[in-house]
Amino acid sequence: MSSYLKGNFKTEKEVRPPETKKEADDLESRFERAALKRLGGSIAFVAKKKVKWTLDDKG
Amino acid sequence: MPEGPGELGLKLVARMESLTWERHGEMALANARRNRGAIARGRSLAELRGAALGEGDSAIVVAAGPSVRRRDPIRAIRDSGFRGALVVTESALAYCLRNGVVPHLAVSLDPHATRIVRWFGDPRLTAESISADDYFGRQDMDEAFANELKANREILSLLGRHGRDIRIALASSASEAVVERVLEAGMGVYWWNPMLDDPDAPGSVTRELQRMNGLPCVNAGGNVGTACWMMAGEVLGKAHVAVTGMDFSYYDGTPYRNTQYYNEAVALVGEERLDSVYVRLFNPHLGAWFYTDPAYYWYRQAFLELAVDSAVRTYNCTEGGILFGTGVEVVPLKEFLARRAPGGHL
Repeated sequence: MSSYLKGNFKTEKEVRPPETKKEADDLESRFERAALKRLGGSIAFVAKKKVKWTLDDKG
Repeated sequence: MPEGPGELGLKLVARMESLTWERHGEMALANARRNRGAIARGRSLAELRGAALGEGDSAIVVAAGPSVRRRDPIRAIRDSGFRGALVVTESALAYCLRNGVVPHLAVSLDPHATRIVRWFGDPRLTAESISADDYFGRQDMDEAFANELKANREILSLLGRHGRDIRIALASSASEAVVERVLEAGMGVYWWNPMLDDPDAPGSVTRELQRMNGLPCVNAGGNVGTACWMMAGEVLGKAHVAVTGMDFSYYDGTPYRNTQYYNEAVALVGEERLDSVYVRLFNPHLGAWFYTDPAYYWYRQAFLELAVDSAVRTYNCTEGGILFGTGVEVVPLKEFLARRAPGGHL
C-alpha cells in the first residue's frame, strides 16, 4: 500500500505499517522456541551407552 | 484445538534430547573447555573404577526428590548400620551431612552457572541474588532451604568441616562457580565427561571432549540422580544398587508453582493450559497418583532403558514417585537394608 500512496505532507509521528501475520507468527515461534529450550533436562541421555573409559573403548 | 491433560507434555518428552542440547549443550562444552586447567587439580574418574568404597557389593544412592522430606531415608540408612557405599547427588549432600552421614561419593554434572553451586554453599550469595531467582524458594524440596540465606550459611559451614572427607565425581561440564567451591572446600575431585552424544558416532562432540581432556565419558541418563546410579554400578562395580529420593515426579496435590519447571511451563502455554504440560501417573506399588513434567518423565524413561540393559540389580527404595518397570525392583528401604545387613540375604 505504501508504494501507491504517498502523502505530500509529513506526519508529526512516524507511521509504521501494522505488524503482519507472518511477523507475528515468527515472533510467536521464536518465543515458543525460547520457552521450549528452557524445558530441557540437565544433561544428555545416550541410548545403549554406559561408560567409555578411553578413546578406543566401545563405551 | 488445545491439547488435553498431559498431551503436550508427552509430545515434549519425545523432543527432550534436542531441547536438552539447546538448553545446556553449548554451556557444557564451554565449561569443559574452561575446566581443562582445573582438571590437573584432581584425578580421573578412572581411578575410582572398581575402588573399594564401602563394604561389600551393595550401594545406596541418595537423591533429593520430594520423597526425602517425607520418608527421611538417611535416618533409616544411618540407623541400620549399612556399610555399603553411599553415593549422593550434590543436592542431597547437605541433607546427609546435617544428619551426621558423610557419603563415600557425591556427584555433580549440571552446567548451570549460578544454581548448582548453591548445593555446596555459595560464598557470593546475597538477598538480591535470591530475589532474582525463585528456583530454590519455590520448590517442594528440603525444608531447610525455606530460609535460603540461613541454609547457605549452614552448608558453607558443613562443607568447611567435612569437605576434605568427601570424594566428588565432578563432570567436566560443571560451572566455574561449582569448580571453585569444590576445590576451596578441599573435596577430592574425580573428573569425568558426561556423554553429550554417542561417542562412537562420526563427528561426536563427546569423542572430541575425550580427545581434549582424556577423561572417561559416562552416560548420565539426563540427570545427576541417574549419574549416581551409573557411578555405583558401572564405576564402583557394585552388584546391588538401591535408589532413594529418586521420585522423577511430584506428589499429587503439589501446586504446579512448587515444581521445578513451573516458570518455563507458564512461559510456554500460560497458566490456564498448564494441565497439558504435566503428565499424571498411577504408581501401583504405592496405590497413589503422582504427576511429572516432560524432563522428569524423560529421566524416568532413560533410567528404565539403562536399568534393563544393566547387569546391576536395581532396587527403587524411594517409596514415592514414578520409577517402576522392568529392570527395577520396588522394595521398601527398610527391607533392602535388612537384606543387605550383615547376615541378610538378597
